[in-house]
Amino acid sequence: MAKETKEKEPETKPAPAKAEVKAAPKETVAEKAPLKSSAELEKEFREYSVAEFFKRNRQMLGYTGKVRSLTTIVHEAVTNSLDSAEDAKVPPEILVEISELPNGHYKVVCEDNGTGVPKSKIGQAFGQLLAGTKFHQLVQKRGQQGIGVSYAVLFSQITTGRTTRVKTGIGDGRVSECDMSIDVKKNTALMANEREYDGKFRGVRLEFEFAEVTYNRSEYSVYEYLRRTAIANPHAQVTLIEPDKNVTVFPRATKDIPEKPEAILPHPLGLTTSDLIDMAHTSKSRKIASFFSGEFSRFSSDRVKELQAMVPEVNLDRAPSALTWPEAELVTKAFQKMKWIAPDMGALRPIGEKQIEKSLKNMLQPEEMRVVERKPKVFRGGIPFLVEAGIAYGGNSGVQTEGAAAGEGGKGSAAIQGGRKAEILRFANRTPLLFDAGNCAITEAVKTIDWNRYDLKDFENQPLTIFVNFVSVYVPYTGAGKLAISAEDEIVDEIRMALMECARNVSSYINTLRKAKEQEQRRSIFIRYVDEVSGALHDLTGKPKAYITEKLKVLAKEKTALLDSKETVMEEALEEVEAAAEEEIEEAGENPNHTKKK
Amino acid sequence: MAEKKEKESSARKSETAAEGLARNKEIIRRIVEMGNRLVGEIEAKGNPHIDIPVRGAANVQFDEKTKKIMLGEKVAKRFLFNVAHARRFMQTMLVASYVKKDLLENDLTATLRDLYYAKKHTIAGSQEDTIDEQKESDLAIVDFEVALDTFRERLHLRAEPKGRMAGELVIEDRVRDRVDRIDLARMGSGGWAVPSIVEQIEFKEIDAEYVIVAEKNAIFDRLNEDRYWQKNKCILMTTAGQAARGARRLLQRMSDELKLPIYCLTDADPYGWYIYSTMKYGSMALAHESDRLGCPAMKFLGMSISDIERYDLRNVTIKAKEVDIKRALEMRGYDWFKAKGWQEEINKFLDKKIKAEIQALSSKNLQYISNTYLPDKIKAQDFLP
Repeated sequence: MAKETKEKEPETKPAPAKAEVKAAPKETVAEKAPLKSSAELEKEFREYSVAEFFKRNRQMLGYTGKVRSLTTIVHEAVTNSLDSAEDAKVPPEILVEISELPNGHYKVVCEDNGTGVPKSKIGQAFGQLLAGTKFHQLVQKRGQQGIGVSYAVLFSQITTGRTTRVKTGIGDGRVSECDMSIDVKKNTALMANEREYDGKFRGVRLEFEFAEVTYNRSEYSVYEYLRRTAIANPHAQVTLIEPDKNVTVFPRATKDIPEKPEAILPHPLGLTTSDLIDMAHTSKSRKIASFFSGEFSRFSSDRVKELQAMVPEVNLDRAPSALTWPEAELVTKAFQKMKWIAPDMGALRPIGEKQIEKSLKNMLQPEEMRVVERKPKVFRGGIPFLVEAGIAYGGNSGVQTEGAAAGEGGKGSAAIQGGRKAEILRFANRTPLLFDAGNCAITEAVKTIDWNRYDLKDFENQPLTIFVNFVSVYVPYTGAGKLAISAEDEIVDEIRMALMECARNVSSYINTLRKAKEQEQRRSIFIRYVDEVSGALHDLTGKPKAYITEKLKVLAKEKTALLDSKETVMEEALEEVEAAAEEEIEEAGENPNHTKKK
Repeated sequence: MAEKKEKESSARKSETAAEGLARNKEIIRRIVEMGNRLVGEIEAKGNPHIDIPVRGAANVQFDEKTKKIMLGEKVAKRFLFNVAHARRFMQTMLVASYVKKDLLENDLTATLRDLYYAKKHTIAGSQEDTIDEQKESDLAIVDFEVALDTFRERLHLRAEPKGRMAGELVIEDRVRDRVDRIDLARMGSGGWAVPSIVEQIEFKEIDAEYVIVAEKNAIFDRLNEDRYWQKNKCILMTTAGQAARGARRLLQRMSDELKLPIYCLTDADPYGWYIYSTMKYGSMALAHESDRLGCPAMKFLGMSISDIERYDLRNVTIKAKEVDIKRALEMRGYDWFKAKGWQEEINKFLDKKIKAEIQALSSKNLQYISNTYLPDKIKAQDFLP
């Protein structure tokens, strides 16, 4: 159990202990806490355990705001689940249940059918920060934090003082359960009420209790996060039970489990200072030099020498855990100036056109859609990436506007119905990016496309879902929160190209729709006037009105299909007739108000 | 006036009642013919259409010989089965029906507004009206008269009458069977209102040597109060701005049948001059009616920019506006303003960028126009073509 910290950092609010739950700092405090300088961070990092460090700096892990904290928690659990199911080569089946407790806390249950965690590793997996198995092979995996779900355990502990119930089995007929918490000082797991019994359960089930979170269905919510996760993971079945007991199943669209990404070592070009610190501090290498040459790709001993020459003040013979923040900063800067062999292209694992198509069809039942997977490109002079994009139109594409009736989007042509707005679904390596849309390369690309060219005038108010997945062994996030992709030219261009290709297809469909709509209107106009015209022609010729009406009605239907081009030929001459007629009315001086204006 | 001459009937161009009815029959025949053609098109599964001669700069020429603006050959087609045309086509049909069935067959006349109300109703099974604003039916009437190669007076449609007259002329006007004899010398301060249809008017006695047509009511009232027409043996007319068709037709008839010179009096500005040119040569918009409305013998008496100098009116001029200059530039290019005198006037205007109203003459004294300006000008025959 966490003990009250000493008054070492007066500017940082001490995390509340169990008894102080009610007086827990408001979310705004965490959100508005001034960003710390790297020197301050480094100092903290040295003085506290990793667990304590992050306890004090939770905003770095996405725990800001009540809605967002909850989404972050679910994100951590679900990414683990997806990765683990893939490891187990089974189609993921994920359950998330959120309920509100009488005391205002929220209970969160996350359950999966993945590999489960062996009994001996339970403490490491859920009760220790940075102990994730993924950390050393952070090749294009969803969760790259390595802190992940353990921090959710800690967050529960610091907001409610409660433990987290963990249940897991690896499919060997035995199931383990325990109450998990973290010794913040030592950054080790504390397990209580351990139990082991026979059972068929395989996977992980976590039951947390949180304060300082809240549930709603906004665009930043758990609901939206899971919906998008399901879209990017068509092989997964995700079930959400909301506090009002409403059950939503995001159904599986395909049984094909994506190929497991090849584990390749991280490339130096793709590292941030924080990544480097994380890696160094968990490294088993003896020296920083061997840490570099052994745990990175394309990092030869020549490169180590080159680096040493560039940063003589950093002693590479020390243990990696001794690497300080300022040193790591110097090193990452030096990386950017060095010449590297590009990372391996083969490690890119897109979702695939077919799979995305299935998924979008499954989720949105669009009238029309187009999915494009682009060829791999590189950015920053050598980091490979590729873009997958899709545009879905009509059906349940887009988001319901507030004015429109709630519930299922009605059937029929979306072009005629209205009531929906465009939505942009951003993904990086299949992980939904919900926050910070304004700074994202994907948003930037969408904004700079001239949608009018694709018959999508007033694009924001179209029933459109725009899907973009950015695939790379290294995602250049704009910040530590990993919420937005940096808008670098090469990336934005690629996304634009992909989206424009999709838009062309959708555009031709919308065109067809519009033509059909116009034809319908046209026919109704003709039919509307038939009676008047036949009445007049009867007056003119004496021929029976009914006879003329009948003939005209038949004609109206036939002539509806006339091509526009035929009609426009004469328009110019008619415009002249029109102008002259108007002038005539004016000129003939028949308007008594029309006198010479001085 | 005792010495007013009886007009010889041979030169008379007015219509008798019998002629009027015969003319109605001819128009009805044309309308029926149009109807039959349209029904024929429908039976042949074609797209029913109406041919409308194009008016406007692209399809008019200035005929040097007749001095009239004439229509070219270009024709536009209005289709029923075309989204952009359908409504107007329907409206044109309503106009045709009304003209034939309600007006011509009963020998009645109606105003454009009468027609508008007669044919305006909600289309069965819709929220739409056959005609929303009167302008729509007015435009349909224009289409119809042009398509039928006739003019609205023959369709028994009356425009708003505009224009007044006074002077040494006795006429007879016919309202169906009743004939009224009107002495334009006895019309009091207001003058005789020119009706919109003047075909039936007969010139009976005349003791005038010329006609003065002013674009402004104020000038007419001034000259009428001064009994200018009596002292100078002439006829006065005001058009009150752009001349209405009735006024134009009557001017043409006075010029052709009475062989009277017609002198025009407008403000010294491009707009006034344009009103003059419309009365004289016709206009682009009404090119199809130039034959019937143009008055090529008309002469421009004033005011010109030169008058401003000659009559020392510089102190009472007005600065030209942007629109005046634009209009002047356009007019300078028209064939019917190519005469040397006019080119000089327009250039002077563009150069000085000033204009003047006729009332500027009142700065001398109120009766200056009656006593000095007009008699001087006419005596000197100081006109522009």
